[in-house]
Amino acid sequence: MPAASRDPAIRIAVFNHKGGVGKTTLTVNLAYAMASIGKKVLLVDSDPQCNLTSYLIEESVVDDLLDKSDQGSGRTVWSAVKPVVEASGDLQEIEPFQLSEQNLLLLPGDIRLSEFEAELSQFWIDCLARRQRGFRGTMALSTLVNQVCEKTKVDFVFYDSGPNIGALNRVILLDCDYFIVPAACDVFSIRALKTLGHTVVNWAQDWKIVRDLAPDGIYLMPGVPDLLGYIPQRFKVYAGAITAAQSGYISRIEKHVGSDLIGPLKAFNPKLVSGPTSHLKLGMIKDFGVLVAPSQEEGVSIALSHAGTYQQREEARHAFLAIAKKIVARLEGK
Amino acid sequence: MKAPPELTARDEARINVLVEHFLANKPKFVSLLEQLNSSLSNDATLTGLVHSIKSRVKDPGHLKEKLERKMKGAKKRKESFDVTVENFFERFNDLAGLRILHLHTRQFRSIHECLMRIFEEDKYDLVEGPIARTWDDESRKFFKEIGIDTKDSPSMYTSVHYVIAPNKKSRITCEVQVRTLAEELWGEVDHTINYPDESPSLPCREQIKVLARATSSCTRLVDSIFRSHEDYERQKRSARAASAEPQKARRGRSRKPPKPTSPVNH
Repeated sequence: MPAASRDPAIRIAVFNHKGGVGKTTLTVNLAYAMASIGKKVLLVDSDPQCNLTSYLIEESVVDDLLDKSDQGSGRTVWSAVKPVVEASGDLQEIEPFQLSEQNLLLLPGDIRLSEFEAELSQFWIDCLARRQRGFRGTMALSTLVNQVCEKTKVDFVFYDSGPNIGALNRVILLDCDYFIVPAACDVFSIRALKTLGHTVVNWAQDWKIVRDLAPDGIYLMPGVPDLLGYIPQRFKVYAGAITAAQSGYISRIEKHVGSDLIGPLKAFNPKLVSGPTSHLKLGMIKDFGVLVAPSQEEGVSIALSHAGTYQQREEARHAFLAIAKKIVARLEGK
Repeated sequence: MKAPPELTARDEARINVLVEHFLANKPKFVSLLEQLNSSLSNDATLTGLVHSIKSRVKDPGHLKEKLERKMKGAKKRKESFDVTVENFFERFNDLAGLRILHLHTRQFRSIHECLMRIFEEDKYDLVEGPIARTWDDESRKFFKEIGIDTKDSPSMYTSVHYVIAPNKKSRITCEVQVRTLAEELWGEVDHTINYPDESPSLPCREQIKVLARATSSCTRLVDSIFRSHEDYERQKRSARAASAEPQKARRGRSRKPPKPTSPVNH
């Protein structure tokens, strides 16, 4: 049975369709930072590339998961949504993975989510046509998260997304309560902000029509993704200071977030940027360079890994913790 | 004759706000119509009964003219024009309209059953109707017999109306009309000549009233033709069945021709 109501856990999507901006690294480190201050967090790997899953789970276990995901005992997001995609039944209940940090849970991704994504395009058309099948399929991921949250009583859900503006990311954005945009310090990332703003507005606009015209008594994703903030990332620091070239990019990111993201979002619906715009820069994450790869190998945050020096790891820990605290204060202060 | 009251700049501004509100919501009306159209067109029983389905979202220019007429009318009658953005979509149910055309009157009973079933299956909320607008006594009797409310129509307009909404909280609605092809002919001529303003030509207005009688007779004739056709087919079938019976069974029995059913339309 699809859950009729939405679980109160706060859902946050880390989204930027531009690749290589550090979405997965941010998601992992932010989730660990949240967990370290006592928040229970569910990570949802909704990217067919499964980077988040590979980051957090040992390679042999991931291989095994993917081998078995098509079977009844499968444990990935694909295993759960497969019956809906194949129209053979309701969502299959799956249990999330417990990570080494006790407050962290993971719903593993799957290469076969690309099949889900292909079907989501048709489900979307069916939603626009007000067909039952469309609602079931489009709401599958959101319903799965409802089911898991209800059982595990998590405080926050993080969606990691793939680098595209496809049907899967559309569902994630429409399901999340808030979204965070990591932006890298390069010219392509700045250009991408424009597409990002328009895309989110288009999705929200279409979904509002679907919602307004939907029959009574159907569970629907909220479709009001509120911009929680943006995080300039991966800038180079030399001798303790941001290099001149990179600081130019940071100010350009700030400017374009205002004109290309906040502007169109607010113009469509002020609820898409409900917080004060001066607080939207959640923090800055420099390029931790050589620390990232070992932390991925170990499957933990940079802070908990054995990468680099203690001082470097502490610097990373503080950077992500500050952002986590800011988010919690903002969202729980409400 | 006194000139009709003019609208002030403030009146025009009020109308523009309403038209803008409609334009902002137009995509929703377009989607609602597409959804309903696809529900109806994909129903094999319904498509077997109807000639064609037309739909349209109201033209913003026509809407503006309609609002201006209503406002002028209210002024003339010294009434207040109380349409606001809040009640606009509840007051105006024809912003999205869909029309089902069929050949003869008796088909309506099955069309009505189909529509009610589809509204139920696809969870549309029936806000109003069905109500049959008619001026013809025989037609009024037909609708009353099948349990459809009727309303007199001094303008000689004829059609059965339903108003549906996508859900209980929605303010936007769609009007569904059902009429025969002959009634559509009258409707189209009347709309072209008498809309938005009644034709100043008395002969035109008179001829359109006569046309209403002609198209009503036309529907009545089509009804009768179909009745006769059905009778003929029934007789042919029973004659065939009788000749297929074994000789023994027929012997000693007087063969009665099948009883023709009444050609009267009811």
